[in-house]
Amino acid sequence: MRSKTLVGAIAVAALVLAACGRDDGDEGAESGDTTPAPAPAETGPVEGEISVWAMGAEGENLGVLAEDFMAENPDVAVEVTAVPWDAAHERIVNAIAGGQVPDVSLIGTTWMGEFASLGGLDPTPETIDPSQFFEGAWNTTVVDGVSYGVPWYVETRLLYYRTDLAEQAGVSEPPANWDELKQLAQGMSEAGAQYGIGLQPAQIGAWQTWMPFFWQQGGEIVDDSGNFGLGSEACVEALTYYDSFNEEGLSPGAEFPEIVIEAAFADGSLGSFISGPWMIGIITDAGADPETWTVAHQPTEQSGTSFVGGGNLAVFSDSDNKAAAWAFVEYASQPEVQVKWYETVSDLPAVQAAWDDPALADDELLAAFGEQLDDAKAPPSIPTWEQIASVIDAQIEQVTLGDATPEDACQAMQDEASAIGTGL
Amino acid sequence: MTGPTTAIREPVVAGSRVGRPRWRSILVSWSFTLPFVILFVVFMAGPIVVSLVTSFTDLRVTDIRNPFAVDFVGLDNYVNVLGDDVFRRAAFNTAIYVVVGVTLTMGFGLLIAIGLNQAVVKFKTLFRAGYYLPYVTSIVAIAVVWRLLLSEETGLVNALLSLIGIDGPGWLTDTRFALGSMVVMAAWRGTGFLMVIFLAGLQSIPSELYEAAEVDGAGPWQRFRSITLPLLRPTLLLTAVIASIGWLQFFEEPFVMTQGGPLNSTLSVAYHTYNQFSFGNYGPTSAISYLLFLAIALLAFGQFRLFRSKT
Repeated sequence: MRSKTLVGAIAVAALVLAACGRDDGDEGAESGDTTPAPAPAETGPVEGEISVWAMGAEGENLGVLAEDFMAENPDVAVEVTAVPWDAAHERIVNAIAGGQVPDVSLIGTTWMGEFASLGGLDPTPETIDPSQFFEGAWNTTVVDGVSYGVPWYVETRLLYYRTDLAEQAGVSEPPANWDELKQLAQGMSEAGAQYGIGLQPAQIGAWQTWMPFFWQQGGEIVDDSGNFGLGSEACVEALTYYDSFNEEGLSPGAEFPEIVIEAAFADGSLGSFISGPWMIGIITDAGADPETWTVAHQPTEQSGTSFVGGGNLAVFSDSDNKAAAWAFVEYASQPEVQVKWYETVSDLPAVQAAWDDPALADDELLAAFGEQLDDAKAPPSIPTWEQIASVIDAQIEQVTLGDATPEDACQAMQDEASAIGTGL
Repeated sequence: MTGPTTAIREPVVAGSRVGRPRWRSILVSWSFTLPFVILFVVFMAGPIVVSLVTSFTDLRVTDIRNPFAVDFVGLDNYVNVLGDDVFRRAAFNTAIYVVVGVTLTMGFGLLIAIGLNQAVVKFKTLFRAGYYLPYVTSIVAIAVVWRLLLSEETGLVNALLSLIGIDGPGWLTDTRFALGSMVVMAAWRGTGFLMVIFLAGLQSIPSELYEAAEVDGAGPWQRFRSITLPLLRPTLLLTAVIASIGWLQFFEEPFVMTQGGPLNSTLSVAYHTYNQFSFGNYGPTSAISYLLFLAIALLAFGQFRLFRSKT
């Protein structure tokens, strides 16, 4: 009796094992051809039901967009689902694995590589013109040469600084290059700010503040042939410069987590910091006098590149109503709709034409963000990006808080990233 | 195990006319246990076996649409994990958490239990509830409050230290203090639970033994060594095993307070597993989980040997 069970178990195990193993061919064959033909334009009738997922504020207000879409397309019923950001990644992975997907979803830009490699996303139809979007934002949809989805909204990082402290330091113009940024931080520090600048030295997401400096020196995270470029001179220069603010006591270093940026900026103990558009509202709420501060373009060396993030809209490959799903995505990309969406949830439009609307063009602070978006990059859309980002965070920390040299840290980034691979 | 007995009894049952009722009773008992067996197989045993198999494959998140189309890589995951500096650091930290944490919680738990067990102590219930309170409070809430207390610039701890002229360090931001701060906080939280178990153990020791020892002239230390400790052996074993398992799975505190930093100085094995899982490296993640399981099993085995009744 027992031996029979054993034989049975072995037989089942053998069957399972026999079914395992990757295809012998190149991996591209399995995870979608490396160069699949762009999807044909979805010419089916726009009707039926689609379900749309979105996270955070976008999820809460998605109903507004859906109502407008249904008013223009009376044959389509849109069902919206708000998903919390914390649970979104897992829910989408599970949905793709189980084939029970929504038709459209908001996808964080750094997740694109993973979901596209999973085979979960539908390639963008040719009817959508890439040039209407900011280039850096569009590139977040491109995985291994194929675009999956479109940018929905964007954000980028600018230098926020106290103009009153800058004037006391004798600076009247925004810093044009690295030397001037350093001088600004030194000057504001002498003018009474406890810290001239707040640069995140460690922890999750430190790379978002550091990476622009790497790009400004001409650095490239992954080149066209899939090799990492983190061990480059650009990396060493960027890390040396980044850490010099800590070394000279201009940035809080290890005490960074204890500083409440908006409060310190409002009371003048912090002279400047680099962050995204959401900080405008936060520092205003913290009581900062609008006359005392402004935002400025990233300093320019070889380029003045910043980081671009945001969210994309993608259609799932298992969707059974792709025509209506892509119609919804195209609708959300119309300039007027993007402007209305900005007015609804304050998301910055990913479509360049929307920035001509007075709602955005007449706001000086926002216009600065619009200008920076012309020179903003996103990390490569590769499935292993989150892990590589954690390696970069860890090595930045080794330099800013530990005693590693920038040369060693960059070499470690390069070695570890190469060991992890792009996952494509 | 039951082979010999059934071999003797089966012919008797099969040959007799009570065969049918016996089959029925087997059927009835299975139908009662079936719900549990199905739930156990589907939600416990199944996933456990799957994760063991996974630990020998190169399964990644990008494979989940085709989970069988992965390669077996033998012990590669285990070899890579053991050679990984971050894992080693996490294992080292976890060892410190376990050694220092278990010692602290058991030591203080026993000390407080003995104190509260003395007849002379007033407000026993109040103290008991007081020491137990942290344990029933949410870990996350405690971690958030302690993070404020331990803040370098604005924390209460450093404010008190400055009263006596000491310039306190960044308890959670300095690599030399972060691990220690975390252990002290978690020990403070866990002590109350062990105290309650120790109290129950102490109360089961007959007071006649102490009275007799006192008559024979035994001092407090001798009574503790020769009566309390030996009779508390089963309780000590239970608390040691519970505390070790808890400390080996140390996770929430660094997750909320330091994210494993600074410089991985508070990263635990459980936290490292969490990170690897969220990167989608399911093969290595399973391997780390089984290494942790092995460590827990070995430690518990060692403790059972150590505290084994010597009678």
